[in-house]
Amino acid sequence: MQPRGAYTVITHAEFCQRLRQGLQSNTDKILLRVVMSPQLDAPIEFTGRELLGRAEQFAANCSLQRDREVVLLLLPHSPELFLMELGLVLEGHIPAILAWPTSRVDAEKYQRNLVHQLCQLPADRLITLPRLAANLEGSLPYPVTSLALENSEVFEKQFPANRVSEQLKIEVLPERHSSPAADTLFLQFSGGTTGAQKAIVVTATMLTEQLTQLGDALRFSGGDGIASWLPLYHDMGLIACYWMPLWYGATSIQLAANDWVINPQLLLEYISRYHATICWLPNFAFSYLSQRREQTQQAHSLESVRAWINCSEPVRSRSVKEFRTAFVDRGVRPENLQSCYAMAETVFAITQSHLGRELRTVARSEMNHGSGSYTELPFDVIDDVYVSSGTALANTEIKIVGVDGQPCGDAICGEIHVRTPSLFSGYWGADGFQTHSLRDGWHATGDYGFQRDGELFVIGRLKDIVIVGGNNIFPEDVEAIVNTVDGIYPGRVVAFGVEDPEYGTQSLGVVAEMKGEFHEEAAQELEDAIRKLVLSTIGTAARYVAVVPQRWIVKSTAGKISRRETRERFVREMVASV
Amino acid sequence: MLPDSVAIRKAAQEAAAELTRRPIKEGQRLVSSGLIDSLSVLRLIALLERKLQVTIPPETLQPEDFDDLDLIVATVKRVAKPAI
Repeated sequence: MQPRGAYTVITHAEFCQRLRQGLQSNTDKILLRVVMSPQLDAPIEFTGRELLGRAEQFAANCSLQRDREVVLLLLPHSPELFLMELGLVLEGHIPAILAWPTSRVDAEKYQRNLVHQLCQLPADRLITLPRLAANLEGSLPYPVTSLALENSEVFEKQFPANRVSEQLKIEVLPERHSSPAADTLFLQFSGGTTGAQKAIVVTATMLTEQLTQLGDALRFSGGDGIASWLPLYHDMGLIACYWMPLWYGATSIQLAANDWVINPQLLLEYISRYHATICWLPNFAFSYLSQRREQTQQAHSLESVRAWINCSEPVRSRSVKEFRTAFVDRGVRPENLQSCYAMAETVFAITQSHLGRELRTVARSEMNHGSGSYTELPFDVIDDVYVSSGTALANTEIKIVGVDGQPCGDAICGEIHVRTPSLFSGYWGADGFQTHSLRDGWHATGDYGFQRDGELFVIGRLKDIVIVGGNNIFPEDVEAIVNTVDGIYPGRVVAFGVEDPEYGTQSLGVVAEMKGEFHEEAAQELEDAIRKLVLSTIGTAARYVAVVPQRWIVKSTAGKISRRETRERFVREMVASV
Repeated sequence: MLPDSVAIRKAAQEAAAELTRRPIKEGQRLVSSGLIDSLSVLRLIALLERKLQVTIPPETLQPEDFDDLDLIVATVKRVAKPAI
């Protein structure tokens, strides 16, 4: 093993050279399968050589005008999206994948919000589907390139042919103060929705280090196979399920998230058919799959999978047990259920559990939550145990910091801090590249947890971030959106997460006070308007929406709105009572 | 035997009301309005299966197929099979 702290700096050119060699050496081996609805039985396949050739051809066809363009990709799940990401990197450009909307959003609101978001990003170009490109053209301060997919019209059917620019005041692009580092490969978004999108710059060194250390921890090789439904705009989908197999010459099969949600057993079918060996899933997916167990008519064997990795949400013992019980007869073994702690700021993984060993747990009653205000945090932990996320990857250091800023001892809770060569150095946002302030190279993650015997246990978020199905949603974004609804008392909106024990994730909740006198019927109309607006701008439905009379929202003694107490009141009066 | 349109509509109305905790009107959008999220579509399917004693195979379905009562009736009639 390398000594901790030692790592190799790799340039963009060196990275691409190694990647090209790897793809070329897999001349006839299929490295990528993309499943496209409705031809779910016939994935589109690419060998290493085909991937390389098609990816470079795609990027070249875009006729980018200058070197190292920052290119936003707004495309649905498709072979072209996978090829563009790879091709643009190989051609020396900097792709950044944006979330494609689910096909049920309000098109007009979505497009207007999109323009607002895109104007905040100092990109050089947007590549999207033809109709959306036509609608957005003229509204953005950079060119929009149209890319037709084989079935563009299927994806575009929800967008009426209507230029957004006619309705929107063009915003002025902030001047770009600096550029991403010379060895930047691509950008990945960490979250944020309403103009506050922050992209993380991933360099060749960061990615290589991540793939090497995670690969070692997983004993990953070209013989592995990945099955994924995770979108490429999510770090788990992009890094673990796409770049990882590409780098090692392993095969991945990629489903669309939409297809998986309605038909979760598709994943099991493909695992069985192609003998996948590793499958990353957010915690809720373990519960979700378990509950659909009876729907899986065919007995797909899952014996080939050596690691089911639970990641992107706090690991719940209940979800792990449900999955193990539901699929034990298909070959899922307790020692194959694994976990990982990851975030886009460190490219992806920080820890990995030990292969071939059951996940460690610690009883809640044994834990010392330390002293100070952390004990006041509302963590709805539904299990009676905490589940380990494993140990730090080689070259990665973790420390737990208390409210006093001092490192905590073993088994004492505090904020998780991390230091690794894969750690980001800044965000690419409205003001160009902004260096992130790190103290001695340590990043304060905003997550709460503890270490015990070298293993990390993640309990929840210190910051008010709602994690719905592995996606981070900032309550401030939701509140800002809902504040724009006519009839809502401006500034009297609170968004929060409500634990969903059935699926082992959180649901989004919103409480807003009505302006003026309260009427039930008007409140319901406002609730409908809020649901529609949140869905079309955030892309996630708010499961709980309540429009309430004035002075319902709880304020602290200092007169500030208390998100925690409002949430508690809401759960007590409107969720628990059902 | 498969249930008729009237029975499906009644079951759909009850199931959607149960999920959303509010009465569901004709023509009211469920998924595109944000009233039911993607994960809850499967909850809706499970409720329909129980109420109607059918199985609804999810192959080729999309959340939009359950966006209002008319669509639910059409979808169930198209894909449902009697429960074994």
